[in-house]
This record gives sequence, C-alpha cells and structure tokens, in this order.
Amino acid sequence: MQLKIRNLEKYYGQFQALSDVDLDVGDEEFVCLLGPSGCGKTTLLRIIAGLEPYSAGTLELAGKDLSTVGAQNRGFGIVFQSYSLFQHMTVADNIGYGLRIRKTPPVERAAKVQKLMELVHLQSFAQRYPYQLSGGQQQRVAIARALAVDPALLLLDEPLSALDARVRNDLRLEIRDVQRRLRIPTIMVTHDQEEALIMADKIVCMNAGKIEQIGTPKEIYSRPRTRFVADFVGISNFLTPQLAQTVLPDLGSHAPDAQHLLALRPEDISVSISDGAQACITHASFLGNVTRLTVDLGETTLLAESHHSQGLKTGDRVAISVAPDAGVWVRA
Amino acid sequence: MTVGPTQSHPPRRIARTKPLVIPPLARSLYLTSLWVPLIGLGLFFLYPLALIVQRSFVQRDGNLGVGNYIDVLSMGHILGVVRNSLVMSGLTTLICVLLGFAIAYLLQRTRARLRWVISIALLLPLLAPSLVQALGLIFLFGRNGLISQATGWNLQIYGLWGLVISNSMYALPQAVMIIQASLRQSDTRQYDAAMMLGATPWRRFVDITLPNARFGLLSAAFVCFTVTITDFGNAAVIGGNYRVLATEIYAQVVGQMNFNMGAVIGILLLIPTLMAFYIEKIAAQRHTSGATEGAMPVAPDRRLLRDIPLGILGYGTAVFLIAVVATVVYASFVTLWPYRLDLTLRNYNITAQGGYGPLWISLIVSTQAAVIGTLMLFMLVVSQRRLGRGMAKAVYLLAIVPVGVPGLVLGLAYVLSFNVAGAIPGMLYGTTLLIALCNFYHYHSQGFLTMVSGIRAVPAQLEETVTCIGGNTLQGLRDVVLPIMLPTLVAVFFFLFMRSMVTLSAVIFLITPRLSVGAVSVLRLDQAGFATQAAAFSVCIMAVVLVALGMMKIALALVSRKPQVAQ
Repeated sequence: MQLKIRNLEKYYGQFQALSDVDLDVGDEEFVCLLGPSGCGKTTLLRIIAGLEPYSAGTLELAGKDLSTVGAQNRGFGIVFQSYSLFQHMTVADNIGYGLRIRKTPPVERAAKVQKLMELVHLQSFAQRYPYQLSGGQQQRVAIARALAVDPALLLLDEPLSALDARVRNDLRLEIRDVQRRLRIPTIMVTHDQEEALIMADKIVCMNAGKIEQIGTPKEIYSRPRTRFVADFVGISNFLTPQLAQTVLPDLGSHAPDAQHLLALRPEDISVSISDGAQACITHASFLGNVTRLTVDLGETTLLAESHHSQGLKTGDRVAISVAPDAGVWVRA
Repeated sequence: MTVGPTQSHPPRRIARTKPLVIPPLARSLYLTSLWVPLIGLGLFFLYPLALIVQRSFVQRDGNLGVGNYIDVLSMGHILGVVRNSLVMSGLTTLICVLLGFAIAYLLQRTRARLRWVISIALLLPLLAPSLVQALGLIFLFGRNGLISQATGWNLQIYGLWGLVISNSMYALPQAVMIIQASLRQSDTRQYDAAMMLGATPWRRFVDITLPNARFGLLSAAFVCFTVTITDFGNAAVIGGNYRVLATEIYAQVVGQMNFNMGAVIGILLLIPTLMAFYIEKIAAQRHTSGATEGAMPVAPDRRLLRDIPLGILGYGTAVFLIAVVATVVYASFVTLWPYRLDLTLRNYNITAQGGYGPLWISLIVSTQAAVIGTLMLFMLVVSQRRLGRGMAKAVYLLAIVPVGVPGLVLGLAYVLSFNVAGAIPGMLYGTTLLIALCNFYHYHSQGFLTMVSGIRAVPAQLEETVTCIGGNTLQGLRDVVLPIMLPTLVAVFFFLFMRSMVTLSAVIFLITPRLSVGAVSVLRLDQAGFATQAAAFSVCIMAVVLVALGMMKIALALVSRKPQVAQ
C-alpha cells in the first residue's frame, strides 16, 4: 500500500467539509475522486498534497506518517485546472524547474527534460513560452513538470476541465497512458463521471464530505450502493419496493428492507408497442445513438431507452418489461 | 478496504485543526513581512493620529475636556472659515466631476482626433506642486497678469474663484483617471441587448452608461473633495482674504504656536473627509461591477452631436491647462513679469531660501519614501494573502484609512508626535527620514490598492505548485510573485517618488530652518515676492518629476516585455 488515509476529518469552523474519510491508493493505481462541486474532493486532494490543514485522522505514505512532512518535502507532483505555468520561462525551463530546485546537474536535467518532452509530444516546443501554446499543450507542460521530479504520488485537480471536448478526450487517454508507463500512483479530482469511468482503476464517489462508495468503474456503474451514486453516475429510475412490485411483475429480486429503492437504468427497460396498453410515451428525445423515452405508467413515470429502428414516438401506447435480474437495490 | 458512508454522528466537539507544516524560514519571513508594515502603520500613522485626538482635548489649564472645541467654535470667524472651505471644495468637486466625466467619456468612448493631447495636458498638474496652478493663474489673471495688463480688466482672481479654478485644475486629472477606469469596464453586449429592445442612444446612456459609472463618479467626488478641502498651497498663494481651514490651521500652529487649537481644527477637517470616506465605502459594498468575465468592451464611435460639445470642453480644458503651465515656464525665463519680457536665466540663480538645497533634499526624501514604501507595501500584500478572511479584511481597512486623513492633519499629527525633546521619537524630527515616512503614509492607501490589484494577478496555484515541487518561500517569491509583480512595484515606486516630490500639505509642518523641501521653497519664494524665481524653482521640480516619469515608462517597458522566442 502506498498512501493510507484513516478517519480523516476536516472542519471549516462549524462546517464539516470531510468526515471519516478512509482511502488507500496502491502502487501504480489511478484513483478518481468523483463528486459534485462542494463535496470535498478538492479539499481532500489539497490535504493529501499538504496544502491544507486537517482536523483529525492519519495520513501515511509507505508506512511513514505525513503529518510532520510539509508540502515542500512530500515529493508529490501536482497539476491544476488553470495550467499554472511560469509565464516568463520556456517550456523546457518550466519542465526542468523542479530539477533546478533540487540542484540536479544541468546535463542530467537537460536529458530528463528532453525525455519528458518526448513523452508528452512537445519536443519541438522546447523554446516556446506558455503564451504561445494552446490550452492542451500548456496542460501537457504542467504534467511533464510534475513528472520531472519522479513524484511519489501524482495529484491532478480537474486537469482537463478547462479544455474543449476534443482535446480533453485526447488528453484523457494520454494521461492514462503516461501514468501506466511510468507507474506513478495518481489521484485525480473530477466532477465528470465519464472522465472517471474512462480513466480510473478505482473511483471514489463522494457526496457532502463523505465517501459514498469506492469501486472499479464497472462496480460503481452496475452495482451502485446508494441512491446518490446510482443517480450521479449515469441515469437511474428509482422505485420504492411497493411500486417495483406493481409495475415490474417480472422482477426476480426483492428489497432487503423498506429503506431501499430499486435503481433501474433506462437501458435495462425494454419498451414495445402494445395498442390498448395503459402505459404511454409522453416524451421522446433524440440522442443520436438512442432515443430516450419518458413512459407514463399511471403510478409513476420511467425513463427508458430504445433504438431508432423501433420508431417509437410521443403518444404511442406501450408495454414495458425488464429482465429478472435487472436493477440494483440501493440505500435511499 | 472500501468504507461506505458512515451514519452521521451527533455533532461532535470540533477537533483542533492541525496546523500545516511550514518550515521555520518561511514562518519567520511571513511573520516579519506581516508585522513590520503593521508596526510601521501603528507608529507612524495610528499613534500620531491618536495623539492629535488626545491633544484636542487637552485644555489650556492642562485638564481634559472640550474646552478647545468651545474656544474654536466661539472664535467668531471660524464658522465662516468652515463654510468657506465647504463651499470651495463643494464647487471644486462639482466642476471636477462634471468636467471629468465629459473628458473621460471623450477619451474612452469617442474617436475624437488628438485625444492624446488631452491626456498629456491632464498629466501636467500631476508633475508639479499644487500651487503651481495658482502661480500660473496669477501670472495670467492677477493684478500684474499678462491678460489683465493686456485688456485692462480687473479680474479679482484672488479669493474664492481663483481657489476653485486652481484646485479644479489640480484635482481634475485624478477625477478623469478614476472615471475613465469605470467607463473602461463596460460590456458591449449590454448595449447590444438594449438596442435590440429599441433603446435610443440617449436611453442607453441613461440606463447603462450612467449606472455603471455611478461608483466611479462617487469615488472621483470623494477624491476631489479630500484633496482640495485641505490643500494648502493654492490657498496660501491665491486665497487672498478668502480664509479656509487649511490656512487657518497653519496660522494657529505656526503663527501662534497654538498646537491644541490646531489639533481641534485638524479634527474638524477629519470629519467631512471621514464622512465622505464612509459613504464611498458603503457604496463600494453595494457596487457590483457591471462587467462580467469575457466582457467585450464598448468600441468607441463617432457621433457629431455628442462629440462636438464634448470636444469643446475637452480641448478647451487641455488648452487652459497647457497655457497655465506654459505661462509658469515662460515666466521663469522673464526678466520682470509682465513689464520686461526679455528672456534671461537670472531667475534660476536662486540664492534665497537656501537656494537649490531643498531640491536635493526633496530628491533624497522622495527616494527614501519610494524605497521604504514599495518595500513595506510589498511585504504587506504578500503576507496579507495568507491571512484568514477576517484578518485580511482588517488589514485592508487599516491600510486604506490614510486616504481619509488630509495631509495637513497628518503633518500636524507628526509635529505633535515627533517634535518632542529627548525621547526616541524626537530623534527623528528634523531628518529627511521623518518627512519621507510622512509622505509614504500620506499616500499609503493609493500605493496599497495598486499593490493589491497587482498581487491579484499572481496565481495562488502556481505558488502551490512550486511548494509541491519542493521550492521554498524565497524560490516562490523569486519565480512566481516577483516576475508578475515587477511592473506593479515599478509603478508604486515612481508613484511614491513623484508624489513626494510635489506634496506640500503635510511636509509644511515638518520642515525646520535647516531642512526644507522643494515645494516649500516655491511657496516661500512666492510669498517673499520673488514670483519668477518661484516659477523657476517649480520648473526644476517639474523637470525632476518628468525625468522620473520617463524612467518609469522605460522601466515598465523593460519589465513587462514579453520574452521572445529564440527560434
């Protein structure tokens, strides 16, 4: 185990920003802290970096207590959303900054910088200044700068949020690729569920200062444990146990108790034309690959998805069905 | 390994926050750079100010009481003097805000030709002590003025109108600067939206331009009022029999050595400025900038019906400003104004009032004020950034209070605090250092605000990046803060230098027979009847300030030059 966090708490005055956070980050692991804004994910990252004090709990790196080690001496790399480059230094100087601070001999430094520039595909930009680079290029420089000092842990604070969609997509894969090659344990903060699903080995889903669930992307999506996770990652319909029994008679599972809700993904509901049925499509949105349908069942409405080939449209009378093992029971 | 959400605890006692691990070097640097400027403010601003308040309550019999206030208010003429001051500053403020708005609009929103001439003309009053305006007016319109002589008119320039005109000339550039800044923060999309809704140009002006400029107009009014109600130079030169508070306080203190009475009048002077200060702060809190992120500034356009009247006002003012200063320069080369206009350099052979000595002292004082001030303000803003919100706000408020204290009051407070025998503060009296400190704290607020807006451009996250990479505080300062702050430091340095060169109202109390400054020499020469020599001396001061201005422009161009690609 590389990083080990136990019972971490953080108060801002009376406000509890983090409560009872336990988290492990293994060697070579890519962990995403995922949650809505204000959930405490950035606070957690900043505490790990040593930039923010915390109220209680322990932080250990490879068995060593971090509470007496300042940010300056933790040897972590950090990348912010805002690039944060030295505007008066060239790309090469920016990347070599940490090595200069560590008084690495110039020859060695130049070699390392050269290697890193190749890694992030910026060889030909060595003598440019940040203002002459695009956002994506600047962020690559920031990443290379963080990697230059062989960080024990790489911290990424929404590194892709300021970039436009296409660049973001490319960089997601590139960051993941570099991380795998260099085998640096990494923690990334993001509010974008798609980003977390694509990049992470492990997603830490946070809400209101607490960890709701930790799991692989697949676990988080298909086996959410709480209503929040099922709602925040992907789209879910929620049904009380009673309602589930009435509208989905084919369902095989039963609620563990009355506090649980059935979370049902739209793609798990099949919809078919059935003249004279009670259920009716009240809205159909074209989403490109699928059409999202709002189906009025009388007792409730459900979101479902269908392929265009079915040609369903608003006003159609329909029947719905689910597989016996569809849906997950989550805590309300 | 996975931990689900825990059931919410009943609210626990809040754990003590473990402080961040900060290296000792960083901590001591931070504490020094916070406390040195704060102690400076305490010793050289709060303490003198407290003393002046205390002295105003020390009665002639030595007891504490309001006796001095009763005495002052029962002095028959004092209420008239207060009224005179208010009328004079009120009129000046009105003229400056109206004219200032017209000129700022002309400069910022129209495409009138030769706008740069107006901009340059507006710089002139900032280059010289305020009384140079009065000097120039007298050379033109006084009893022996060029125009009075040529036309035979008796223009009665001495008195209220002379004061209002010269003070307006002095305050106008500052008003234009503030209003222009508020007009610069505009968003063309607001105007486009209004136009699409059918608003006429006039409606757009009334509904968008004016409300957005409201705060700038108020700030400008505040500044004009504060700088003119206590201005000493013009009042002494052109005030004539129109007595105002500034000259009254001087007469009480220097003329009759009545320090306690002077203190009372000083407090009276504080009231209107503190009120104006308070109103401005309240307004600032309500003010939300009309411009949002990504705002597209309004493009200047051409509209004859609007531009011609504005142009007449703008160019007229510019010509007047240039004419007055040019007259002073001309008079400095004339043998006997206005009777023998042949040119000579004799006026520059100044031997009275210590000759050119005071000019050198001004240079020393100004350099000291600029060095000390820039360093202290830089330390203050750098450390203020690390404070919690409440503390940071308290420091901010303390740092901008000096703008509400008139120079004359500050000068008087310094005399009361430092012109004392024996004690350690007494050692400072009669040194250039004390005058430099007085000038620095006089202009503390403006310098501080410039620094604050400068440091806002320093990205906190870049500093944090340096920390995480392993850099210490000094490396953070060198590689993050300084490269971005350098233009601001240059600007603040020269601002303090240039203001120190020309200010008169505070230093007038701090000079001694052995130690005087340039601005005082101009006043003394004029009062001694050597008007053309006073003009010559002002020209020398203007030359020094111009050189400083040129050096600032060069320095700014050097430090804000973008690095070039070495391809």
